[in-house]
Amino acid sequence: MAGDIVVGYDGSDGSKAALRVAVSVARAFDAPLAVVFGYEVIPVGGETADYKKRVEAIGAAVVSEAVKAAGELDPAVKAEGLVVPERPVDSLLSVAKSRQARVIVVGGNGERPLMGVILGSVPHKLLHRSSIPVLVVPAPDGV
Amino acid sequence: MADTTAVAAGLPSESGAKGLKGGALGLLSTTVIGVASTAPAFSLAASLGLVTLAVGLHAPAIMLLAFAPMLFIAAAYFYLNRADPDCGTTFTWVTRAMGPNLGWLAGWGIVMTDLVVMPSLSQIAGKYTFLFFGADGVANGVFWVTVVGVVWIIIMTWICYVGIELSARTQVALLGAEIVILAGFALVALIKVYSGDTTGGLHPRAGWLNPFSIGSTSALASGVLTAVFIYWGWDTAVTVNEESKDSKRTPGIAALLSTLILVGIYVIVTVAAQAFHGADFLTKNSSDVLSALGKDVFGSPWNKLLILAVLTSASASTQTTILPAARSALSMAVHRAAPRKFADIHARYLTPGFATVFFGGLSIVWYVGLSLISKDVLGDSILALGFGIAFYYALTGYACVVYYRRHLFKSFKNLVLIGLAPLLGALGLTWAFLKSLFVYSNPANSTSTTTAWLKFIHFDFKIWHFRFFAKGFGPPLIMGVGLLILGVPLMLLWRAGRPEFFERGREVADTIDGPAPPLTPGVTVVVD
Repeated sequence: MAGDIVVGYDGSDGSKAALRVAVSVARAFDAPLAVVFGYEVIPVGGETADYKKRVEAIGAAVVSEAVKAAGELDPAVKAEGLVVPERPVDSLLSVAKSRQARVIVVGGNGERPLMGVILGSVPHKLLHRSSIPVLVVPAPDGV
Repeated sequence: MADTTAVAAGLPSESGAKGLKGGALGLLSTTVIGVASTAPAFSLAASLGLVTLAVGLHAPAIMLLAFAPMLFIAAAYFYLNRADPDCGTTFTWVTRAMGPNLGWLAGWGIVMTDLVVMPSLSQIAGKYTFLFFGADGVANGVFWVTVVGVVWIIIMTWICYVGIELSARTQVALLGAEIVILAGFALVALIKVYSGDTTGGLHPRAGWLNPFSIGSTSALASGVLTAVFIYWGWDTAVTVNEESKDSKRTPGIAALLSTLILVGIYVIVTVAAQAFHGADFLTKNSSDVLSALGKDVFGSPWNKLLILAVLTSASASTQTTILPAARSALSMAVHRAAPRKFADIHARYLTPGFATVFFGGLSIVWYVGLSLISKDVLGDSILALGFGIAFYYALTGYACVVYYRRHLFKSFKNLVLIGLAPLLGALGLTWAFLKSLFVYSNPANSTSTTTAWLKFIHFDFKIWHFRFFAKGFGPPLIMGVGLLILGVPLMLLWRAGRPEFFERGREVADTIDGPAPPLTPGVTVVVD
């Protein structure tokens, strides 16, 4: 498979907006859609196995919800959900690379600006690091 | 056409340069995690004066000796972790090997030990913050130090709550600076001692390193119990193996490397510190020993470096206290041994949000409460801490032997690594625990504090050679052992209400090479 549309999805309003746009982009190109949930568990402080499993379970739930929503938006789009154990930015980049993706779609202001500065903003980092086009979708107003 | 959800594993990663990443921990990162978790500068700042209080000039010997039980217990961690890399660690392992009751108490022990260390961390952080800015007068007051200490807990809890992690490179740099500063401190101190440029200086002697020259076994036991704390956290180098790149070799080598670094730095700094002004100086300044020494060793403004090292070290230590506490609670909740709420994962930050905030809040209550009633928050906490650590580390050691009992005699390596080492470590810690019970039941033995708590408890009797005497108890004993005992009624209460967890039987390992079947089948994939 090549030319996938990769969309970052974590269940936030920004990512929901991104999903809607990603579905129509996928439709326009007649390309498969990869819905990516990236997570990283801090290894400092000892073992993490069952904590990680819980996060994975949440990721799986969030992502299958997104795949279902994509199917409802446009039944013709083939959507696949992926839960990737890497930082969000890294997970988007590695999925994009392995699928030779056409474009990465992410939500714009999922984080409030100040939190974005402290926690790191996914679109900001992506714009600097991605070698393929990045489409940033602003979250709808009034949310 | 919705496809089913897949969990992607083995996606090619961009490069190996990203450092601490799930699925790919290098040797350097694993070593750094191990050393940073023990927080050398903070550990020394908190315990040096207390170790010299117990054993005088034999402090370096204690630093060496206290490592032995840790090393032995680490073998237990390594092998039990292979069977079950659950974040409940000792809680899960003891539950498997020795049944749910002891397992529950082990989990309680971990969380309580993490709680007991929080006041000393906050106290050091608060105090050294003022010392850094040269406000030495304020640093000696209780009120403002407590205020800054509480702010410290809030900030660190928040950092754990939103899941901020320093990049691997930053961690290596911070830890590197810490080690270099400590080594520089030891070097300058020793040069000044040998050039006669100090008052009350002593030339180091080989006898300082000999634990057998410590006359009293009480001193030995309380010294070990105090010093066990300085190596606490070192075991994480062994247990992050699931994330290691080469999980068969990396943790072993990382453990070895971090051992050399830690034992080396503790022994050298201790030797230099007591050579500089003698052991009494350390005991007298036990609440801010590195700052007091730094002034004379480095002079201003270079002494600020040492203070900064203690502060960064304390922040690393706070993080490695809050994270495991929250994860232990999470693990207990997942296995129905604690309220479900503790297993909640924050939807946005993907951290054990409720458990983290709950632990942070509890720490503040405990710290403020202790500041109000204790005359020596730091000393009492560190001594109390020894009991908690000895309790759950010893349980881990016993659990390893019991759990792998069918494999002990299959090879010489097994016998040593999963039999003798864990057993010796556990017995050593049990001995230090029991012996220290006697020592610290007398309030006069707990640092500078002479006030006893619970004075209405008064007994005096003799069984054979042992005299049991108490008129009240020392604060470290009440905090250390009291909190552990408090777990028993709480466990019975939980058991009465939610018996599920307690209905399981004991297990024995089928293999020492692979993972064990899940402790509670199916529960970890449930999302509410």
